[in-house]
Amino acid sequence: MISRRNFLIKGIGLSSTIALASSYSGCSPKIDRRETLRGPNHTLGHKLRTGTFPKPTQIIKTEVAIVGGGVSGLAAARILKQRGIEFRLIELEDKVGGNSHSDKNSVSSYPLGAHYLPIPGTYDKDLLSFLEEENVITGYENGKPTYNEYYLCFDPKERLYINNHWQEGIIPVNGVDRKSTEDFDKFNELVKKFKALKGSDGKEAFCIPLHFCSDDPSIKKLDTITFEFFIQQHKLSSPHLLWYLNYCCADDFGGTISTISAWAGIHYFCSRKGSASNAQPDAVLTWPEGNGWLVNKLMKYAVKETTTNSMVFQVGYENGKCIVDYFDAIKEESIRLVSEKVILATPQFINQRILSGTLERKIDYAQFSYAPWMVANIKCSNHLEEKRGERLSWDNVIYGSKSLGYVNSNHQNIQLFSDRQVITYYLPLTGADSNAERKQSHQRSFKDWYELAIEDLKLPHPTIEHSIEEVDIWLWGHGMIRPSVNFISKTSFDASAPIGQKIFFVHTDTSGISIFEQAFFVGTQTAKMITV
Amino acid sequence: MAAQNSHKSFQLLLLLSVFVVATCGLIYELVAGTLASYLLGDSVTQFSIIIGTYLFSMGIGSFFSRFFNTNLIRWFIQIEILVGLVGGFSSTILYLLFEHAAYFKLILYLLVGLTGILVGLELPLLMRILKDRIEFSDLVSKIFTVDYIGALLASIIFPLVLIPYLGIMKTSLFFGLFNVLVAVFICFRFRSDIPGSRFIIIEGIVAIIFLVLGVIFSESLLRMAESMAYSDKIIYSKSSPYQRIIVTKNSEDIRLFLNGNLQFSSKDEYRYHEALVHPGMLNVANPKKILVLGGGDGLAVREVLKYPEIESITLVDLDPSIIELFKSNSLLSDLNKSSLFSKKLTVINQDAFVWVRRQTQLFDFVIIDFPDPSNYSLGKLYSLSFYKELKKIVNRKGCVVIQSTSPYFARKSYWIVNETLLKAGFNTLPYHCYLPSFGEWGFVLASPTALPTTDIIPKIENLNFINRETFQQLVYFPPDMSRVPSKINTLNDQFLVQTFEKEWSHYTQQ
Repeated sequence: MISRRNFLIKGIGLSSTIALASSYSGCSPKIDRRETLRGPNHTLGHKLRTGTFPKPTQIIKTEVAIVGGGVSGLAAARILKQRGIEFRLIELEDKVGGNSHSDKNSVSSYPLGAHYLPIPGTYDKDLLSFLEEENVITGYENGKPTYNEYYLCFDPKERLYINNHWQEGIIPVNGVDRKSTEDFDKFNELVKKFKALKGSDGKEAFCIPLHFCSDDPSIKKLDTITFEFFIQQHKLSSPHLLWYLNYCCADDFGGTISTISAWAGIHYFCSRKGSASNAQPDAVLTWPEGNGWLVNKLMKYAVKETTTNSMVFQVGYENGKCIVDYFDAIKEESIRLVSEKVILATPQFINQRILSGTLERKIDYAQFSYAPWMVANIKCSNHLEEKRGERLSWDNVIYGSKSLGYVNSNHQNIQLFSDRQVITYYLPLTGADSNAERKQSHQRSFKDWYELAIEDLKLPHPTIEHSIEEVDIWLWGHGMIRPSVNFISKTSFDASAPIGQKIFFVHTDTSGISIFEQAFFVGTQTAKMITV
Repeated sequence: MAAQNSHKSFQLLLLLSVFVVATCGLIYELVAGTLASYLLGDSVTQFSIIIGTYLFSMGIGSFFSRFFNTNLIRWFIQIEILVGLVGGFSSTILYLLFEHAAYFKLILYLLVGLTGILVGLELPLLMRILKDRIEFSDLVSKIFTVDYIGALLASIIFPLVLIPYLGIMKTSLFFGLFNVLVAVFICFRFRSDIPGSRFIIIEGIVAIIFLVLGVIFSESLLRMAESMAYSDKIIYSKSSPYQRIIVTKNSEDIRLFLNGNLQFSSKDEYRYHEALVHPGMLNVANPKKILVLGGGDGLAVREVLKYPEIESITLVDLDPSIIELFKSNSLLSDLNKSSLFSKKLTVINQDAFVWVRRQTQLFDFVIIDFPDPSNYSLGKLYSLSFYKELKKIVNRKGCVVIQSTSPYFARKSYWIVNETLLKAGFNTLPYHCYLPSFGEWGFVLASPTALPTTDIIPKIENLNFINRETFQQLVYFPPDMSRVPSKINTLNDQFLVQTFEKEWSHYTQQ
């Protein structure tokens, strides 16, 4: 009886939404909404290529200079602070955070980039102790961390819009043929095998941080072929599986199965070995502002030491000391830092231009390819009109779309009802030629991006345009390092080598995978190493 | 020349009506199929049987066409009007009858059959009308071409345009209207050739009026379908931003429904509210400060007010419309003995989780009367995190009672609530009672320090259900409701919501 009644009530809901929609269809969407198109400060960045900077007028001495306030730079700062070492941190943007930037509007905080952290494996001790400090881990039960329930991603977690219906989970199930199911089973078998695999050196084949992964050549040789080739070798060809794999490659690498190496592709699926007393091994931690929450916790270690809006234009080595020259765009003057050591938490396309010519590095800068990303935060009045199936979840993916779908920024709210919501829509530009993609991205207007996003979102939410109040579009020109063939085992490895035990490289492009855990690990380890 | 022209337009119009009949006929069939799969589930079976029934009925119609021998064109037009009416109102009829008809499927197939028979009559009749005017091979080719094109059009626009933009009810009404309009137009155009055409036109216009009214009132008809879902007279209905509130009344009782789910019946609500309030109240030594979460109906507050020593009651309910309703409607304020007007009462319209998390004050007894955990939003109010926050605002010697769904209908769900409370560090005493209008219902009494006891001594008289002996029986669970080991419910793994959905689905299926 109840189901009949529910149906009737739903029927009314449906018809009134349709009535609403049709009453709107004559008029164009609201024009008074707030629209912004932003991104990292590339005007100042571009000055590196073209402009000349004034000569430094002031010299500041310090023990360690950190260049770049992304997660790796901030993680290094945390250790230096804890160890009482004097340091300075120079950041190009108006605030630190790097890829974990966030912002907020009248409804909610929201991410402009990275938005979650999978629960780490128990061997990632540095990260665990940081999470303990910040009350993300509240205790231990039988040796397993107990995570703060408010930060573990709430139910319902993921849904996929496929065949005009929202299904639970991202792996396509709804209306999927037998061949696809078999291919997914086969793929899962492979994942299981590689997850458990250990190299001849006794180390895990795939784990996070990457430094703990085995160097066994028989495993590392997977870095010499594309993920696509690996998939073909295993005779996996179902379009559903290929879509899923491409989705995952876009998610973590801004790439596709044909542009990233098999090692990197397998790493995505087989490296997460989280453990918790109160969550599944694949659980993730998330906050309304995404990893901006973690950045806010890290940045407190470098409040006084940080200088923002400042472009480092030269890093060199003179008379046994390191020099870092930067241009302060607010004061419009250049300053020279003289230090014992320098930690460069900047990507290599920047390092290429700021490292003084006398410093030799054996790396091939041309091999560094960064995928551009577009992130749109959309504030909607009222609830989105929904198609049939699962309810609004944390992660909402559209099958067959080039985007990663959207995340509900209000998801971690304990409130039962809210009359407004913010969704974060992610579109990585996965084209093989990332330079061409970037060029094209910078030419697009707000309207171009808006239309791209809305066209996609209209599939599951036909009337979304009528409830939009604010659209904040953020464009990352160099969003994520792309681990192509031989990149992780060779190119990024070369780039991680310090110069004369004085200048250290900690950006995630020296690891090959742009994830919080890796940035945190390299920043922390490097800071520990140079202060022993 | 003029005669030939009129012949031509006659032919053309009749072919047009074949087209309309074919299109509309298929639309009615698709409407029936869609409704059946919505209402009864299993779309493959429903569509398959409905298409079969429809085609077979067309055969019956064709067979009976031989018995129509005079005034063919008149019959043709009248049948077309009838098809428009039957088909046009088919979805409305099905909607309205769904809740009530014992043989819903029978009615469904009868309607499909009737439409099929009527459509089946049309083609043979038309062929016979035109057989002397057009050469046979030409006639067959034209009629069937138009017929099949109509079918194609219908099957394409139905899923792509009609269902998304008009909805099912309006689609069938619109096509019924279209059907009748074409019939009336033909009748009017050839009124001189048709005996009694004026009568048919009037007939058609009446049908048109009905169908237009149907379109205009389709929204309210849907609502009526809803009101018919309640067996008693609706005395109040309102959609607040949070829920749909309905109050019904018959000679014996008043019932409150939220989102279609029964909240209480005035006939036996005393059992529920006495069982909810008194065992906990009597487990606290000297209760002064009481908190009620949910329960904006004021019925739990009424029970609390029976203890004169109570100093303050705080009632947190998200929806101000409920409070307003139970204050302003005299039937309802009689029921709660005007408890919502008590000077001891403070009403707070806020989200309970947010409110509880911000509190620093302590309460002696907390009464939790939330809706069942039927979705992920409500499930948060049954999570480990919520219970941990709750524990912080309960006096060490105080206690909490939680309405925790039915241990009979949703046995695992009930015990998940108990398990989650234990994990949050409460000592618990689960109990249940029988409510004639609901069946077996469950509660959990929980205390941060002491173990709640069944050894209660009622301090007040005039209770109709709870006393020491009754309560001592309520804590025994027969084997079909007894404790089952289970996981707990957390924000990141809402095991309760998933379990609850599964368990209740056994009782909500046809």
